[in-house]
Amino acid sequence: MSYAITVPDSPPAAGRIPGSKAMWVGIFCEVTEFALMFAVYFIARAHHPEIFRAGPERLSLLAGTGYTLMLLTSGWCVARAVHAMRASRQSACLRWLIGAFVFGLGYPVIKLFEIRWNLAHGLDGDAGVFIVTYYYLSFNHLIHVFWGLLGMIWVMLRTATGSYSAEEYAGLESFAVYWHTTDIIWLMIFPLFYVLR
Amino acid sequence: MSEIRKLDLAWLGLVLLSVGGAALGGRPDAGLGVTALVALVMGIKVRIVCDHYLELPTATRRIRRAMYAFCYGMPIVVILTSAFGDTLARLTGALI
Repeated sequence: MSYAITVPDSPPAAGRIPGSKAMWVGIFCEVTEFALMFAVYFIARAHHPEIFRAGPERLSLLAGTGYTLMLLTSGWCVARAVHAMRASRQSACLRWLIGAFVFGLGYPVIKLFEIRWNLAHGLDGDAGVFIVTYYYLSFNHLIHVFWGLLGMIWVMLRTATGSYSAEEYAGLESFAVYWHTTDIIWLMIFPLFYVLR
Repeated sequence: MSEIRKLDLAWLGLVLLSVGGAALGGRPDAGLGVTALVALVMGIKVRIVCDHYLELPTATRRIRRAMYAFCYGMPIVVILTSAFGDTLARLTGALI
Protein backbone atom coordinates (compact mmCIF):
# COMPACT_ATOMS: atom_id res chain seq x y z
CA MET A 1 0.00 0.00 0.00
CA SER A 2 1.32 3.46 -0.79
CA TYR A 3 0.40 6.77 0.71
CA ALA A 4 0.43 10.01 -1.20
CA ILE A 5 1.48 12.86 1.05
CA THR A 6 0.62 16.30 -0.20
CA VAL A 7 2.79 19.09 1.11
CA PRO A 8 2.20 22.66 -0.04
CA ASP A 9 5.02 23.93 -2.26
CA SER A 10 5.86 26.90 -0.07
CA PRO A 11 9.24 28.38 0.91
CA PRO A 12 10.73 27.35 4.27
CA ALA A 13 10.15 29.53 7.32
CA ALA A 14 12.23 32.72 7.47
CA GLY A 15 15.09 33.32 9.90
CA ARG A 16 16.46 29.78 9.79
CA ILE A 17 19.92 28.32 9.21
CA PRO A 18 19.75 26.37 5.93
CA GLY A 19 21.41 23.00 6.55
CA SER A 20 23.50 23.12 9.71
CA LYS A 21 25.52 25.70 11.63
CA ALA A 22 28.69 23.58 11.22
CA MET A 23 28.35 23.61 7.45
CA TRP A 24 28.07 27.40 7.44
CA VAL A 25 31.31 27.64 9.45
CA GLY A 26 32.93 25.56 6.70
CA ILE A 27 31.33 27.68 3.99
CA PHE A 28 32.60 30.93 5.46
CA CYS A 29 36.09 29.36 5.67
CA GLU A 30 35.77 28.46 1.98
CA VAL A 31 34.55 31.93 1.07
CA THR A 32 37.44 33.53 3.01
CA GLU A 33 39.94 31.22 1.31
CA PHE A 34 38.66 32.17 -2.14
CA ALA A 35 38.43 35.86 -1.23
CA LEU A 36 42.17 35.76 -0.50
CA MET A 37 42.85 33.97 -3.79
CA PHE A 38 40.75 36.55 -5.64
CA ALA A 39 42.86 39.25 -3.96
CA VAL A 40 45.95 37.58 -5.45
CA TYR A 41 44.23 37.64 -8.87
CA PHE A 42 43.37 41.35 -8.65
CA ILE A 43 46.85 42.35 -7.44
CA ALA A 44 48.49 40.29 -10.20
CA ARG A 45 46.10 41.83 -12.73
CA ALA A 46 46.88 45.35 -11.53
CA HIS A 47 50.61 44.71 -11.99
CA HIS A 48 50.30 42.94 -15.36
CA PRO A 49 47.22 44.45 -17.06
CA GLU A 50 48.30 43.66 -20.63
CA ILE A 51 49.02 40.00 -19.85
CA PHE A 52 45.65 39.59 -18.14
CA ARG A 53 43.83 41.42 -20.95
CA ALA A 54 45.27 38.96 -23.46
CA GLY A 55 44.84 35.97 -21.14
CA PRO A 56 41.27 34.81 -21.89
CA GLU A 57 41.98 34.24 -25.58
CA ARG A 58 44.61 31.65 -24.58
CA LEU A 59 42.02 29.56 -22.71
CA SER A 60 39.14 27.56 -24.18
CA LEU A 61 35.94 29.58 -23.75
CA LEU A 62 34.01 26.45 -24.76
CA ALA A 63 35.45 24.56 -21.78
CA GLY A 64 34.73 27.48 -19.43
CA THR A 65 31.12 27.72 -20.61
CA GLY A 66 30.84 23.91 -20.33
CA TYR A 67 31.92 23.96 -16.67
CA THR A 68 29.42 26.70 -15.94
CA LEU A 69 26.50 24.87 -17.55
CA MET A 70 27.41 21.57 -15.85
CA LEU A 71 27.65 23.14 -12.39
CA LEU A 72 24.51 25.25 -12.77
CA THR A 73 22.50 22.26 -13.97
CA SER A 74 23.90 20.05 -11.22
CA GLY A 75 23.00 22.75 -8.67
CA TRP A 76 19.48 22.96 -10.08
CA CYS A 77 19.10 19.16 -9.73
CA VAL A 78 20.27 19.38 -6.08
CA ALA A 79 17.77 22.16 -5.37
CA ARG A 80 15.01 20.04 -6.96
CA ALA A 81 16.14 17.09 -4.80
CA VAL A 82 15.69 19.21 -1.65
CA HIS A 83 12.21 20.25 -2.82
CA ALA A 84 11.34 16.59 -3.51
CA MET A 85 12.46 15.59 0.00
CA ARG A 86 10.35 18.37 1.54
CA ALA A 87 7.38 16.85 -0.29
CA SER A 88 8.26 13.37 1.07
CA ARG A 89 9.12 12.15 -2.43
CA GLN A 90 12.25 10.17 -1.50
CA SER A 91 12.59 8.28 -4.78
CA ALA A 92 12.23 11.51 -6.80
CA CYS A 93 14.83 13.07 -4.51
CA LEU A 94 17.24 10.23 -5.29
CA ARG A 95 16.65 10.59 -9.03
CA TRP A 96 17.40 14.31 -8.86
CA LEU A 97 20.58 13.58 -6.89
CA ILE A 98 21.71 11.04 -9.49
CA GLY A 99 21.11 13.70 -12.15
CA ALA A 100 23.10 16.18 -10.08
CA PHE A 101 25.96 13.70 -9.80
CA VAL A 102 26.04 13.02 -13.54
CA PHE A 103 26.17 16.74 -14.36
CA GLY A 104 28.64 17.34 -11.51
CA LEU A 105 30.92 14.66 -12.97
CA GLY A 106 30.89 16.63 -16.21
CA TYR A 107 33.11 19.20 -14.50
CA PRO A 108 36.20 16.96 -13.91
CA VAL A 109 35.63 15.27 -17.29
CA ILE A 110 35.78 18.63 -19.08
CA LYS A 111 38.77 19.55 -16.89
CA LEU A 112 40.61 16.47 -18.15
CA PHE A 113 40.06 17.46 -21.76
CA GLU A 114 40.90 21.11 -21.05
CA ILE A 115 44.20 20.26 -19.35
CA ARG A 116 45.20 18.11 -22.31
CA TRP A 117 44.23 20.95 -24.65
CA ASN A 118 46.13 23.47 -22.52
CA LEU A 119 49.30 21.39 -22.41
CA ALA A 120 49.10 20.80 -26.17
CA HIS A 121 49.05 24.61 -26.53
CA GLY A 122 51.99 25.13 -24.20
CA LEU A 123 49.89 26.37 -21.26
CA ASP A 124 51.85 24.79 -18.44
CA GLY A 125 53.23 26.17 -15.16
CA ASP A 126 55.80 28.25 -17.06
CA ALA A 127 53.27 29.96 -19.31
CA GLY A 128 53.21 33.22 -17.38
CA VAL A 129 51.45 34.93 -14.51
CA PHE A 130 47.93 34.71 -15.99
CA ILE A 131 48.07 30.95 -16.55
CA VAL A 132 49.71 30.31 -13.16
CA THR A 133 46.99 32.35 -11.41
CA TYR A 134 44.39 30.47 -13.44
CA TYR A 135 45.75 27.07 -12.37
CA TYR A 136 46.07 28.25 -8.78
CA LEU A 137 42.41 29.27 -8.55
CA SER A 138 40.82 26.67 -10.79
CA PHE A 139 42.62 23.69 -9.22
CA ASN A 140 41.61 24.88 -5.78
CA HIS A 141 38.04 25.05 -7.04
CA LEU A 142 38.39 21.57 -8.56
CA ILE A 143 39.36 20.21 -5.13
CA HIS A 144 36.16 21.71 -3.69
CA VAL A 145 34.16 20.10 -6.49
CA PHE A 146 35.74 16.74 -5.62
CA TRP A 147 34.71 17.16 -1.96
CA GLY A 148 31.23 18.00 -3.19
CA LEU A 149 31.02 14.92 -5.40
CA LEU A 150 32.11 12.72 -2.48
CA GLY A 151 29.49 14.42 -0.31
CA MET A 152 26.92 13.82 -3.03
CA ILE A 153 27.67 10.07 -3.00
CA TRP A 154 27.11 10.13 0.77
CA VAL A 155 23.74 11.92 0.59
CA MET A 156 22.65 9.63 -2.26
CA LEU A 157 23.38 6.60 -0.05
CA ARG A 158 21.57 8.20 2.89
CA THR A 159 18.59 9.03 0.69
CA ALA A 160 18.52 5.50 -0.79
CA THR A 161 18.52 3.97 2.69
CA GLY A 162 15.66 6.20 3.85
CA SER A 163 17.73 8.19 6.35
CA TYR A 164 16.10 11.50 5.41
CA SER A 165 12.47 12.50 5.65
CA ALA A 166 10.37 15.60 5.05
CA GLU A 167 10.81 16.39 8.76
CA GLU A 168 14.55 15.66 9.02
CA TYR A 169 16.77 16.37 6.02
CA ALA A 170 19.40 18.71 7.50
CA GLY A 171 22.23 16.52 6.14
CA LEU A 172 20.88 16.76 2.60
CA GLU A 173 20.35 20.49 2.89
CA SER A 174 23.84 21.02 4.36
CA PHE A 175 25.30 19.29 1.32
CA ALA A 176 23.08 21.40 -0.97
CA VAL A 177 24.31 24.61 0.67
CA TYR A 178 27.94 23.55 0.14
CA TRP A 179 27.33 22.62 -3.50
CA HIS A 180 25.58 25.91 -4.28
CA THR A 181 28.41 27.88 -2.69
CA THR A 182 30.85 25.99 -4.91
CA ASP A 183 28.62 27.09 -7.82
CA ILE A 184 28.84 30.70 -6.71
CA ILE A 185 32.64 30.58 -6.54
CA TRP A 186 32.77 29.22 -10.08
CA LEU A 187 30.40 31.93 -11.33
CA MET A 188 33.08 34.38 -10.15
CA ILE A 189 36.09 32.49 -11.53
CA PHE A 190 34.55 31.99 -14.97
CA PRO A 191 34.31 35.65 -16.08
CA LEU A 192 37.66 36.56 -14.48
CA PHE A 193 39.61 34.06 -16.59
CA TYR A 194 37.50 33.30 -19.65
CA VAL A 195 35.64 36.54 -20.38
CA LEU A 196 37.17 39.67 -18.85
CA ARG A 197 39.66 41.37 -21.20
CA MET B 1 3.89 30.83 -9.19
CA SER B 2 5.07 27.72 -7.35
CA GLU B 3 8.53 27.55 -5.77
CA ILE B 4 9.54 24.73 -8.13
CA ARG B 5 8.43 26.74 -11.16
CA LYS B 6 10.51 29.69 -9.90
CA LEU B 7 13.48 27.37 -9.43
CA ASP B 8 13.16 26.01 -12.98
CA LEU B 9 12.95 29.54 -14.39
CA ALA B 10 15.98 30.53 -12.31
CA TRP B 11 17.98 27.69 -13.87
CA LEU B 12 16.84 28.72 -17.37
CA GLY B 13 17.80 32.33 -16.65
CA LEU B 14 21.23 31.25 -15.40
CA VAL B 15 21.86 29.19 -18.54
CA LEU B 16 20.86 32.08 -20.81
CA LEU B 17 22.96 34.57 -18.85
CA SER B 18 25.95 32.19 -18.93
CA VAL B 19 25.80 31.74 -22.69
CA GLY B 20 25.15 35.46 -23.21
CA GLY B 21 27.93 36.39 -20.79
CA ALA B 22 30.35 34.07 -22.59
CA ALA B 23 29.63 35.96 -25.81
CA LEU B 24 31.16 39.05 -24.18
CA GLY B 25 34.44 37.12 -24.16
CA GLY B 26 34.80 37.55 -27.90
CA ARG B 27 35.35 41.29 -27.58
CA PRO B 28 39.04 42.17 -27.55
CA ASP B 29 38.34 45.92 -27.27
CA ALA B 30 36.84 45.69 -23.79
CA GLY B 31 36.67 49.04 -22.09
CA LEU B 32 35.26 49.93 -18.71
CA GLY B 33 31.71 49.61 -20.12
CA VAL B 34 32.20 45.97 -21.11
CA THR B 35 33.92 45.29 -17.78
CA ALA B 36 30.91 46.76 -15.97
CA LEU B 37 28.60 44.60 -18.09
CA VAL B 38 30.61 41.46 -17.25
CA ALA B 39 30.47 42.43 -13.55
CA LEU B 40 26.72 43.05 -13.80
CA VAL B 41 26.09 39.62 -15.36
CA MET B 42 28.26 38.06 -12.63
CA GLY B 43 26.28 39.87 -9.92
CA ILE B 44 22.89 38.89 -11.37
CA LYS B 45 23.84 35.21 -11.73
CA VAL B 46 25.25 35.01 -8.22
CA ARG B 47 22.14 36.71 -6.82
CA ILE B 48 19.88 34.21 -8.60
CA VAL B 49 21.85 31.29 -7.11
CA CYS B 50 21.71 32.93 -3.66
CA ASP B 51 17.96 33.50 -3.79
CA HIS B 52 16.68 30.38 -5.57
CA TYR B 53 19.28 27.65 -4.98
CA LEU B 54 20.65 28.66 -1.57
CA GLU B 55 17.29 30.12 -0.42
CA LEU B 56 19.08 32.97 1.35
CA PRO B 57 15.92 35.11 1.71
CA THR B 58 14.76 32.62 4.37
CA ALA B 59 18.16 32.41 6.11
CA THR B 60 19.14 34.30 9.26
CA ARG B 61 20.10 37.93 8.78
CA ARG B 62 23.77 37.28 9.62
CA ILE B 63 24.20 34.54 7.01
CA ARG B 64 22.24 36.51 4.43
CA ARG B 65 24.24 39.71 4.90
CA ALA B 66 27.62 37.97 4.91
CA MET B 67 26.87 36.07 1.71
CA TYR B 68 25.41 39.09 -0.07
CA ALA B 69 28.46 41.14 0.96
CA PHE B 70 30.74 38.56 -0.67
CA CYS B 71 28.53 38.17 -3.72
CA TYR B 72 28.09 41.89 -4.38
CA GLY B 73 31.63 42.72 -3.28
CA MET B 74 33.21 40.73 -6.11
CA PRO B 75 31.54 42.52 -9.06
CA ILE B 76 32.29 45.86 -7.38
CA VAL B 77 35.97 44.91 -6.96
CA VAL B 78 36.07 43.86 -10.64
CA ILE B 79 34.96 47.35 -11.69
CA LEU B 80 37.18 49.16 -9.16
CA THR B 81 40.34 47.27 -10.11
CA SER B 82 39.59 47.89 -13.76
CA ALA B 83 39.12 51.63 -13.16
CA PHE B 84 41.90 52.07 -10.58
CA GLY B 85 44.35 49.29 -11.47
CA ASP B 86 47.31 51.69 -11.42
CA THR B 87 46.51 52.80 -7.87
CA LEU B 88 46.20 49.18 -6.72
CA ALA B 89 49.54 48.35 -8.37
CA ARG B 90 51.17 51.32 -6.62
CA LEU B 91 49.68 50.40 -3.23
CA THR B 92 50.76 46.76 -3.55
CA GLY B 93 54.13 47.42 -5.18
CA ALA B 94 56.00 46.13 -2.14
CA LEU B 95 54.21 42.73 -2.41
CA ILE B 96 55.41 41.91 -5.91
